[in-house]
Amino acid sequence: MGHGHSDNVQRVTPGPLPVSSTFKAFFLVLMVLGAAVFGYLLFTDKERAWHAYLAGYFYFFLIAIGGLFFSSIQHVTKAGWSVNVRRFCEAFTAFLPYAFVGALVLFAGGKSLFDWFDSAKVHADHLLEHKQSYLNPTFFVVRVIVFFALWLLFTKKLVGGSLEQDKTGDENITHKSVGWSIAFLLVFSISFSLFCVDLIMALQPHWFSTIFGVYCFAGLFQSTMAAMILFILFCRKQGLLTGYVDENHLHDLGKFMFAFTVFWAYIAYSQYMLIWYANLPEETIFYIPRVTGSWVYVSAALLLFKFVVPFFALLSRRAKRNPAFLGAIAVLILIMQYVDLYWLIYPNLSAEKVVFGVPEIVIWAGFAGMFMFAVTRFLSKHPIVPLKDPRIQESMHHHVVY
Amino acid sequence: MDIIEKVIQRLRSPGKKGIAGIWLDEHKLVHAAREARKSGLTKFEAISPFPLHDIDAAMGIPMSFIPWVTFIMGLTGFGFGTWFTWWASSQDWALIIGGKPMWSLPAFVPVMFECTILFAALSSVGALIWLCGLPKIDPPVIDPDLTSHKFALFVPEDDTGFNAANIEKMFKDMGAVEVKRTEF
Repeated sequence: MGHGHSDNVQRVTPGPLPVSSTFKAFFLVLMVLGAAVFGYLLFTDKERAWHAYLAGYFYFFLIAIGGLFFSSIQHVTKAGWSVNVRRFCEAFTAFLPYAFVGALVLFAGGKSLFDWFDSAKVHADHLLEHKQSYLNPTFFVVRVIVFFALWLLFTKKLVGGSLEQDKTGDENITHKSVGWSIAFLLVFSISFSLFCVDLIMALQPHWFSTIFGVYCFAGLFQSTMAAMILFILFCRKQGLLTGYVDENHLHDLGKFMFAFTVFWAYIAYSQYMLIWYANLPEETIFYIPRVTGSWVYVSAALLLFKFVVPFFALLSRRAKRNPAFLGAIAVLILIMQYVDLYWLIYPNLSAEKVVFGVPEIVIWAGFAGMFMFAVTRFLSKHPIVPLKDPRIQESMHHHVVY
Repeated sequence: MDIIEKVIQRLRSPGKKGIAGIWLDEHKLVHAAREARKSGLTKFEAISPFPLHDIDAAMGIPMSFIPWVTFIMGLTGFGFGTWFTWWASSQDWALIIGGKPMWSLPAFVPVMFECTILFAALSSVGALIWLCGLPKIDPPVIDPDLTSHKFALFVPEDDTGFNAANIEKMFKDMGAVEVKRTEF
């Protein structure tokens, strides 16, 4: 409240993000290290290699598609406040082509991850045979390719349009984005849900939860906001966003992160409570390994650090307007997002005890390197603020009272 | 009848005597509020037909304490929900449902959650009403156009350093279209 408008702040027109060659080299080293450990693990412990791959892959896929989702809801709501931060979520979509390649690679590991990839196992199991018309490798590959084709098409239309507007300033692009975004949201709700079912829920093909897609979506939104906040804090520290993005924008992103922290807990609880109450064997098979043995500690950590701590930490207005504090909570949420995916995927590999070590970290870091390489490359080629967006003045004078 | 009379008497706000300046431009009101604050006045009120940006900063109004009411009453509601489900389902009238333990936390989270929201929401609204001195019946009206296109600043006589002549001059200097002695 006590601050003036940003009019009297000295502004530097934001250009592309300068990415030093040291950074690029660092990301490449991470990628190579990840690939090397993955390759080594393929020969020593194939199943673990593919589970680590899936966790790292899915983690960054969620943030990439989350970037497209967030920018599309900004277009649909014709939001003005978010114009100056929109380029960051658009940048996340630069990972989608890499994610497509990553999905193609994942097909090779199908047999190590999914029982229904193996026709011998399918014939031995009546339920798998029953579900075969949907859960079979061919249809799986077709689905994933179709989904990525659609997502990349919408990326081209929405993010590509935004980049074109940087050059032409054509306001019709803004109008057209509304229609494309509505279409994307419809496609997204179905395709994303099915994609989560295919990649994560089908690890345990006997189990089903109708809320599973929403569960993944909650983590997607939470982690996308956290990633956006960290990118913005980095660029602010470099002085690249002075006069363009201030604590008012952080406040609103923080509100989103807070809201979807609550939403995640709400969905996680809804899924748990119904299964716990009904107590049906075909549903409880998912939770039994996760509430017994050493996995119960991971479950407790999720409740505590993915909901309780960020909830109380982000409750106050001051916390959301304090860059250092908000950044710390964003880091916590990003760590817990990995724990969440790990908790979804790894009991499939080892139901009795928690398996975690250097391979998981390095393979995740490999994907992190790839993600950062793609995103910083995007940001180094385009201005980090869509300067010719017709609603930019709204974002310049964004002022959050409460 | 007697009771109703008494309640109405209590709700009828007596109104303080003071001086009001009236402007036709909201920016001038914000400016006037800032100047009034600078001159040492603290108890003045601003009246506007719509919410104004920066007026709370200009008037020096601190953050409201209502968020604290919400927070503490939310915790209270959570505690109450926890206690009540425990007492009702395992102490006062223990029933076995679905073979679950008497006090099964997952089943009672919705009750605890709803109590949190109910306590937090109702007490926030209650605190707001109390803080605004509502309800008020028949309050003094400075100018009926203040709900349409005029903006006013009202300084009560009991404000610190109240000096009628100084305030009238200050309001006029800042372009007030009308300055009057009134009640609010």
